[in-house]
Order: sequence, then structure tokens, then C-alpha cells
Amino acid sequence: MARMKFLCDLERCIECNACITACKNENDVPWGINRRRVVTVFDGEPGERSISIACMHCTDAPCAAVCPVDCFYTTDDGVVLHDKDICIGCGYCFFACPFAAPQFPITASFGNRGKMDKCTYCAGGPPLDKSAEERRQYGSNRVAEGKLPACAEMCATSALIAGDGDTIAGIHRERVKTRGYGAGPWGWTMAYGAVERQGQKRQGGQTS
Amino acid sequence: MMLSTRVIGRRLQRSFVTAIPVLLLLFTAMGAAAQETGQVSLAEPNLNAELWRAVREGTAPVVGASQVQGTGTTIPITEGGPRWRGARQGYLIPWAGWLIAGVLALIVVFHLARKRPAPVGGENGQIERFAVYDRILHWFQAGVFIFLALTGLILLLGRPVLLPLFGPEAFGAIASASKEGHNLFGPIFLLALVLFFVRFVARSGFARGDLRWVVKGGGLLRGEHLSAGFLNAGQKLWFWIVMLGGLALCVSGLILVFPQFGQSRELMQLMLLVHGIAAVVLVALLLGHIYVGTAGVPGTFRAMNTGKVDADWMRAHHDRWYRESKEKGLVEKPQA
Repeated sequence: MARMKFLCDLERCIECNACITACKNENDVPWGINRRRVVTVFDGEPGERSISIACMHCTDAPCAAVCPVDCFYTTDDGVVLHDKDICIGCGYCFFACPFAAPQFPITASFGNRGKMDKCTYCAGGPPLDKSAEERRQYGSNRVAEGKLPACAEMCATSALIAGDGDTIAGIHRERVKTRGYGAGPWGWTMAYGAVERQGQKRQGGQTS
Repeated sequence: MMLSTRVIGRRLQRSFVTAIPVLLLLFTAMGAAAQETGQVSLAEPNLNAELWRAVREGTAPVVGASQVQGTGTTIPITEGGPRWRGARQGYLIPWAGWLIAGVLALIVVFHLARKRPAPVGGENGQIERFAVYDRILHWFQAGVFIFLALTGLILLLGRPVLLPLFGPEAFGAIASASKEGHNLFGPIFLLALVLFFVRFVARSGFARGDLRWVVKGGGLLRGEHLSAGFLNAGQKLWFWIVMLGGLALCVSGLILVFPQFGQSRELMQLMLLVHGIAAVVLVALLLGHIYVGTAGVPGTFRAMNTGKVDADWMRAHHDRWYRESKEKGLVEKPQA
């Protein structure tokens, strides 16, 4: 079976926020709930990078581990979903998540948070696939139609790609090979020497 | 021209020997460069350990910005969440379970194994030990605390213990009610704590004889009676443990239960751990308090129930207070 993941290519993300807009439109997400967000580091400086972050559908999900009512489950495709009918709105999943993916509609006294909502990989939830109940509670179910999440499909530069983890890792590797830089954390620019980018000749070792 | 193996070998040897100092120089230069900057910089990508540590920890100078507003939205990733998960799931939950079960088992074994204490007499009169207000405060605090303890334990230990018994839907309903009840009654416990403190603090100061009482374990193990005042050292200790533990519970609880003031995830994680540890320790000690106040020392429970205790019991367990009360003429003679 596939293990569905997201991958956001830092060299391609242009902070257009189309992924967020696509998600909110596709899933009728209420005001204030942010299933996906774009974070920009070194904003305005040379070397600015943006990354689109939502639920990462972890294989060993911390949210699922700490839930007091065990309302999370993982589908056969590796998508991490939860049952809003069982959720008690305690917020523990939000505290455990490294990416702050879980969202709550209310923040009020006595720990009143409402039901947790998060990125579903456009794979709906426990109710019957493509039913009105599923649409109302969890948003669209594109995976049931054989489609990929709306955010990745909408990405203007194909920075955000979704699919089986091995497949998208392979896509990213091909990109790095072709462009000769920007493999991720360690840059690898030294190994690939001088690079031509946007008409500027850059020496190996410089990424900006 | 074919090179002999000896020639090739010697050439390899020479190039190898030359390479070592070159490599050493290169690594030293790289190391020196890294040390010189010692700061986050994208100009030296392969040496950006500092950069990626800052990203992982969500600290400056890697401070993100986002169009999306909310708690933690400007931070790409943090390790605090999974660390808290490890502490809660790996340590707090199993240790809580074993501690509470262990204390319960210890009490049962102790009670079954000990020599039954002699029954309390009834011929020498009674004295009022706790006034109506004392008893109201005690049971108010006890009731609220037990409710909070039960609902809190359902949230902490319910998933491994109760979920298999009740199934997801039923347990979800129980847990939801527990969470709502726990969060509503938490601030009420603060009120109970404050009232109780004001009422009992004067009687709970440590005095001469308390250390000896503690060192001898209150005489519980040997079944002997030690000298004590109105409250023995164990009772005074329990008062201070409840006050301080309760303070920790209330402070952490208030921070947790009013999340609309922008508390960070890291603060909530810490408060949940403080809250859980204080609660579990208090519950374990409470089991001892309940035992000693009921089956452990016969004649004690009526003090908090009716307010009056038997004079013989009083002389055995709180002899200094008995003598003071006798002098004041407060010991009621039994009706003929």
C-alpha cells in the first residue's frame, strides 16, 4: 500500500499562499481554522525561504499517542484521521504536534475548545465516503475519487507535492539532480560547484 | 607504457602522503571558518549546524513569519511536543498507574497483616474535636478533591484502563463529561483550599514533639501511642502537603483552563506535567489519609463525622490536648 506524504520544496515555494486558499475552498473550512499555513524564515533578507506546513500524517503520530479517548486512526494509505464525534476537545493533540497542525474553533474559559479540526489529506473522515455528513464535518474526500489533496494540486510552482512517500522523494531527487542545488538542509551546493541561476553566476558554496 | 605494480604502488603512496597534510589543512580551515562565524549564515551551507538547530528549536535568528495568525503559526517545527508526549505516555502514565495501584495494595496488605488495634472504650466521656464549620470545610474540600481526582484519573488513565471496557463511543462520552466537570470544578477547589487554609493554619504549626512523632512513624507500625497535641505531626504534615500540592494544582490548573491568554504550547506542556505529577502524588497520599482516618485508627472517623471523640481515644492519641481540655473542663461526662 502507498504511504501518503507531503513534501514542500524550499527552493520553489514563492509564498503565494495558493495552497491555503485551495484547502479552505475545497473543504469549506470555517473562519479562524487554519489547516495549512505558510511559514517564511529570513523574511525580506537574502536567503528567504518559505515552507507550506499542514498535518504531516506522521507514521508514529504524537497526536494519536496522547489522545485521552484514542479518536485517531490511520488509513491503509497512511493518512492520519480522527473521529470528531469522539473528540473531547482537550487540546492534547495540539500540544504534542511538532507542526501545530490541530486546530480548534473556540478558545474560551474552562478549556472550551470545540472539536479538533485538521488537514485530512483531502481524505474525509469516518462517515461514508462522499456522504453529506462527511462533507459537513470533515470537508472533501478527493482521495476516494483517486485524486490528490487540493493544496498540492493547486501549487503554482509545484513546490508542494503529495503522493506516496517514495514517489515524491524520487521526484525531489530528480529536481535536485537537474538543478544542481537545493537538496534540503545541507545545501549540497559545494558538491555541485558553480551554478547559473536567473542569469547570475554563483560560486559553489553560495545559495543566495 | 605499462606501469609496473611497484611504480603504481609508490605513486599511490606518495600521493597519499601528500594528501594527508592537504586534507588536514582543509579541515582545519573549514573548522576555523565555522568557529569564526559561529553564527547562522546561509553563505556557508554545509556548516549550518547552528541554522538547523535554531530551526528545530524555533529560536532566533530563525524566526518565522506567517500570514496565518494563531498560537505557534510562525514556527515551522518544534521538538517540545514529541518530548512532552514521551514524558506523559512513557513516564507519567505508567508510573501513576503503578504508584496508585501499589499504594492501594500496600494498604490492604498492611491492614490484613497487622495486629488488630484494641476497640475504643466509651465510659469516660466525650469532647468536641471539630466544630460544624471545620467539618463542613473538610467534607467540601474532600468532596471536590475526590471528584477532581476521579475525573482527572479518567483523563490520564482512562484510555489504557477504561476504554477497553466501555468501547470508544461510551468511553468518549464518559471522558467528555469528565473533562467538562474537571475544568468546571477546578476553580472551586481553589476556593475550598483558601477557606481550609485560613481555618486550619493556626492549628498546623510544627512544635516540640513533632519531630519525634515523625521519626517514630506515628507509632503506626508498632501500634504504640505517641504524645501529640490537638493535631499530631502526621496531620500537620498532611495539611501542608495538601496546601502546597493543592497550590501547584491550582496554579497549573488555572493556566491550563483559561487558554485564551495566548499561552504557548511549551507552557501548557509544562503545566500539564506539573499538574499530573502533583495530582498523582496527592492521590497516592490521600489513600493513606483515608485509611488512617477510617480503618487504620479506630475512633478517628467520628471526629470528622459527628465532631465528638471519645475521651479514652483522645488521651491515647492526643494526650497534650486531652490534658488541656480536662483542665478547661471541656470533657463531657457520659450520661448515666
